[in-house]
This record gives sequence, structure tokens and C-alpha cells, in this order.
Amino acid sequence: MTATNPSAETYGLFDESDVYVEGADWEEVVDAITDDRLTVNMGPQHPSTHGVLRLVLELDGETVTNLKPIIGYLHTGIEKNAEFRTWVQGCTFFTRMDYLAPLFNELAYCLGAEKLLGIEVPDRANAVRVILTEFNRISSHLVWLATVGMELGSTTMMTFGFREREHILDLFESQSGLRMNHAYIRPGGLAQDVTDDFLERCESLLKLLPDKIGEYEDLLARNPIWVDRLKDVGVLSTERCLELGVTGPLLRASGMSWDLRKSQPYCGIDQYDFDVPTDSSGDSYGRFLVRVEEMRQSLRIIRQALDTLPGGPVMVADKRIAWPSQQSLGADGVGNDPEYIRHIMGESMEALINHFKLVTQGFTVPAGQVYVPVESPRGELGYAITSVGTNKPYRVHVREPSFVNLQAANEMSSGHMVADVIAVVASIDPVMGGVDR
Amino acid sequence: MGLESKLPNGILLTNLERFVNYSRSTSLWPATFGLACCAIEMMAVGGPRHDVSRFGMEVFRASPRQADLMIVAGRVSNKMAPVLRRIYDQMSDPKWVLSMGVCATSGGMFNNYALVQGVDHIVPVDMYVPGCPPRPEMLLDGILKLHEKIRNETFAEQGAKA
Amino acid sequence: MTLDELQAALATAFPDARAEVALGELTVHVDPEDVMDVLTFAKSQLGCELLADLSGVHWPAGDHVVERQMSTTGWPQYRVSRDAGVIEVLYILRSVSHNHWFRVGTAVGDDAPVLPSATALYETANFHEREVYDFFGVEFTGHPDLTRILMPDDWLGHPHRKDYPLGGVDIPYHNDKFIPSPHERDLREVVE
Repeated sequence: MTATNPSAETYGLFDESDVYVEGADWEEVVDAITDDRLTVNMGPQHPSTHGVLRLVLELDGETVTNLKPIIGYLHTGIEKNAEFRTWVQGCTFFTRMDYLAPLFNELAYCLGAEKLLGIEVPDRANAVRVILTEFNRISSHLVWLATVGMELGSTTMMTFGFREREHILDLFESQSGLRMNHAYIRPGGLAQDVTDDFLERCESLLKLLPDKIGEYEDLLARNPIWVDRLKDVGVLSTERCLELGVTGPLLRASGMSWDLRKSQPYCGIDQYDFDVPTDSSGDSYGRFLVRVEEMRQSLRIIRQALDTLPGGPVMVADKRIAWPSQQSLGADGVGNDPEYIRHIMGESMEALINHFKLVTQGFTVPAGQVYVPVESPRGELGYAITSVGTNKPYRVHVREPSFVNLQAANEMSSGHMVADVIAVVASIDPVMGGVDR
Repeated sequence: MGLESKLPNGILLTNLERFVNYSRSTSLWPATFGLACCAIEMMAVGGPRHDVSRFGMEVFRASPRQADLMIVAGRVSNKMAPVLRRIYDQMSDPKWVLSMGVCATSGGMFNNYALVQGVDHIVPVDMYVPGCPPRPEMLLDGILKLHEKIRNETFAEQGAKA
Repeated sequence: MTLDELQAALATAFPDARAEVALGELTVHVDPEDVMDVLTFAKSQLGCELLADLSGVHWPAGDHVVERQMSTTGWPQYRVSRDAGVIEVLYILRSVSHNHWFRVGTAVGDDAPVLPSATALYETANFHEREVYDFFGVEFTGHPDLTRILMPDDWLGHPHRKDYPLGGVDIPYHNDKFIPSPHERDLREVVE
């Protein structure tokens, strides 16, 4: 334990027994209360707080007067860790941040690195990126539906959500090798080209999902319990959304048609025809409607992207950057490409050197600062990347939508009952891996 | 009709230790202790495709008092460590800990200031499941191996642990 | 507004500020005491309703040179020399109605960094400033509740500063060999 805490060595201020950190502020919180308000601690281990979120509620009877989210129970130091790894290795770190939308994290990070490098990704890579991220949006919203269903007492929705998500994860696994945390999108393109059965798999999902989304709507949209628990709960106006920095489905449910896919399109997503669903209510039920409609719009985008999927490479041509991605798979399935190995081992010394340097040191990225936002399932996911021209990022800061949106929890739940806090926090859809990073 | 018709008549002889361990292993109640990515896979295990209820474990208890298995699903930060220990202390004996994923097991790729490098620094771990995150099948395999372990534990060993 | 119009508007309003466009992004570098003026101007005159992001970057004192860029890659050489270390605080201001955004950058000394808080203008700055305080030690005056947000309350030091080690433990192997913890590994910067 001591060894994991570098401040002990750096500052030499405490000995081994002092390292454990208690949530010691509780007594201060309680002591500070003089009137008959009740302060209730919820979390960080609570079945309904969406992970390790801790909420300190001030209650007047059953009514919430103040809600304070306390976060950091999942702080992983990913931003700092990435400063010690190469640019390509960064993908594997950032994909583990918001673990329900791993592809969006990779995408935003890679778009930032590509902007610094000044390279254009091939069309095929862009189209595949769009297809996979939109599938990721659907799978993320499915988990949202599943967990909210579970928290509001609809266990059926939870089994439904996870059932369909498995099918999408099968697609991800067939392409990247992993169900989650793919590291499939790399600076310069994709880790490898899509498999031969990619189109087939996408088509079967496109056949399956529209009916299922209709099924969720049939199950929930007019369900009296669902409507009662979400309608007029956690209302947030457009102005307050913007003041609190709230983006994504929450902003759209308040009536603002703001989507970075439309306003600052990335990966050529502007060539596809889709709508930005909005709702005028600004309450949790509106967010449910917006998310369900977003899944449909994502399917529309995927349909068009599949129909126009271009051929060609999925990695930039520049051999100084491009990880050799177009490798043929051997009969043993290991992936050694005999032609490529013949090229680097037998034909070109420079190619061998380049391969060696690319693998061990990575490529360097010119100095500069960029901020690249994408529209993740939870809102504006921005990567503020600083490079000083070496093979490692100098600093990567992530503007996480969950982190920012969580600030609105107090305003949204004040005046509601304790039970509504669950619905409010669930409607924000915070993913603690993203909040705490 | 079912299993009953296959059972021989008469008396089944076993010793108390094996009988108790058998009962314990077949009705483990895990605590809902999701931390990070692995928690999503843990939920997938409870989902329809993998269906952990086949092994008598679908009841994820919200209260640690009612749980006897803690699945540490994800990275444990220094801030979370005392909370985790407190939850473990609240669980009633006998209890088991399954460390799910490489972060909980050893810190994994996050060898840095923020994380506890292995949850076994804080609580005794009975079973480690590798992977980042482990597939639901791997978690099921870990759970079955833990069942096996529970069945073969002696009371003396359990007493020494607690 | 286009970037040029934004740049012109900011240059007129703040002649001392340095507004530059790089990689298609407009950055306005201002002194710490002018930050609030620029933010107020952006909110009232440029329609920036949203403070999209607020982050910090630590630049410690000393020479930082990345050479030999031009010969191999064609990228310009990078050379920064600082007598005193600074924390650079970057604000991303976005207008949702006009669909433009730009960055405001300021630098405060890293020995006792102090900045005015933007929470009165943009409520969303609350968590962001707590994060920058937690990770870099920048004190935001006027912040309603400036406490650590992600690290434990009694943590010492500010982890994302460059003088703070990454931490971690050595990884031992069976044959008594070990890999040192990441911040003790060879951190030679490759400049090819």
C-alpha cells in the first residue's frame, strides 16, 4: 500500500500506518448541521447509484433540499499514465475510461492525434469508424435502458437490454477481438481491416434491432409506473443546461437541437442523412424518448454507411505512422503475414528498422495543442491534447460529459423525493469510469 | 419424474463438513460490488445469455450483510480501498472474495499513484480471474472453480481464515 | 462567426492579448488578471454560452528542447526555456447559437498559482476548477467550494504536475529480475 502512494516518498511526511484514507469528512458534515434537516449518505457502494458514486443528501423530511455528488472513488490516473506511454499505447488507456462507450474515447483521442499530425484518414477507415461508433452508441443506450430499468424496478428491461447488447458486442468482438475496451481505432486509421463477414453481421443487426427498439417502447413508453417515475422529474431548462455545461441527450431533451455530429462533423458523418431528436419537456421521460429515438437515428446512419462503404486501405499510407494493418492472416490464425515478413527481413533493411522503431518507440507527433470533441452517447467528449514533438503525449486532458453533467444532479433533484434521486441520477447516465478517469 | 426417480432409496451418508460445504457452494449470494469495466461484464453474467442463476447466484444482494461472496469487479483506487474493506468487514462469515480482472488482481496496466496494486493488499482473495475485462465465460469459470474450492475446504481452514 | 472575425474582435477588445490560429484553432493568450475580462467579453459579446472545458498543463522550469525535427520529419524544432515553471490553464469557450469556439489560455507561476474563479460567470466551472486545483494546485479565488474532487481529501501533492512521479510499484519475476515502476523506467524522449 505504501509503495503505491508516491507522495509518501516524495514528501516523507507520514509513515506506513498513515496511508489508509478514510472518508473522514462525514463527521464534519454532520456537525455542521444545526437545524432538523437530515443528512443521508448514499454510496459509494449502493445498488442504485450507477457505480461508485457517492451522494450526500440533505433532506427536509422526505424532500431533497441539497444533493452533493462526491466522486473520485474510481480515479485511475489514466491521463497521467498516458504521458508515460507512446501515442499508440494511449488508445489502450483511453478506451478504458468511459467503458460503455470505448470506441468514442478511442475515436476522439485518435482524431486529436491525427489533427496534430496533419494526416487524413482513408475513407474506408472513416466509414468503419462511423459504423462502429454508432453501434457503440446503441449498445451504450441499451445499457442505460437496462440499468435504469433495473433501478426503477423493471427487471424485464434489464434482461432485454443486456440481451440485445450481447449481439452488438459479438460484432465488436469479431472485428477487434475484444467485447469491450477494444483499442481498435488507432491514430491513422484502424488496427486492422474489417473481416469478410462484417457486412453480413451488420445486416443481421440492422434486421434485429429496429423491432427490438419498438419492443422497448411498447414495454415502457406508456407503462404507467415508468411514466409516473420519470415524468416531470429532474426538469432542466435549456438555459440552465448551458450554464451547467450539460450536453448530449439531456440538452436535447430540453429542446435544444445541438449535436456535434451536425455542428462539427467528424469522420465524414455529415454525408449521411439523419435527424437530431429533441424533446421539449426537459424531464427524465423526455431523455428516455430522446435516447430511444437516437438509437433509431444511429441505425439510419449505419444503413447509409454500409450502403456506401468504400473500399481501399484502412490506414494512412505514411509508413512512419502506419502500423502494418493490412496483414493477411495465416492458416494458424496467428496473423503472421509471410509477405510482410519477407519484405522486412529479406528485402529492405530500412523497412526492418522502421518496423522496429515503430513497434518499440512509436512515432513522434509535432508540437501543438488541439481540442477535439465528438458526440458521445453522454454528450460532448473532448480531448485536449498537448504535444511537444516527442513520441509520448505531453498532456492529455479529457472533457468527460459524465463528469460535467453530474453537476446538474443537485438542481435536478432539489425539491423531489428521495426515491426520485434514483431516477434523476439514472437519467443523467453517468459512467463512473468517465467521471473519475 | 425428474431427479427423484433416479435417486436410490435409503439413506445418504456424508459427513457434516461436506454437506455444509455443498450447501454453501450451491447458494452463494454475491454482493453488488461493481467498480469499473468488469462490473458491466458482471452484469452481463447476470443477463440472459450467460445466466448465472444456473449456479444459484442470480440474487445479487445490495446489502453486504446478506452476501457471502464479494466479486471485486474493477480497479480499486486508494480512495475506494477503505470503503471496500469496510464492506468486506460487514459481510457475515463465511465469506469469499473473487478478484475479477487484472486491475483488481494486480493493478494491471495502471501501475500508478491512484490505484491499489492488487486488492489482496486489502482483503484476502480466494480466486483470481484474469482478463481485461474477463469474458463472462471466464467469470463463470472462476465462479465454478470457487465452488470447487468451497466444497473442499475444511472447517479448520475456514476458521483460520476468519 | 469565422475564426478570423473572432480573432479580429478579440484583438480589438484586448490589444495586449495574443490571439493566434494554429491547426485551425484560435487561442487567445492573456495575462491571469485579464482572464475574467475575456470570459465576460466572450459570454456577453461573442455569444459563448458554454464553457466547454477547463484544463491545466504544467510546464516546469528549465530548458525543454526537442531537436532534429526538421531534418527527418519536416516538423519545426521545439524549444522552450523557462526561468520559472508555470501552470497553463486553458478555457474552451463555445457558442452553441453561433457554432464557433475558441480557447483562452493563461499561465500562472507554479509555486503558488492563483486565478480568479469563473464560477460566477459559468456555473459549470465548479467541477472543472476543483479538478485543476486537485491535480495542479491552482487556487481559484471566489470558488464556492474549492476542495479536492478526485483524490482523497488528505492526499499530499498534486498528481498531474510534472514534478510528481507517476508512482506504481516494481514488478518482480520468479528469477529475481524485475521491471521498475513506470516513472523509474528510461524516459528518454525519442525525437526522430
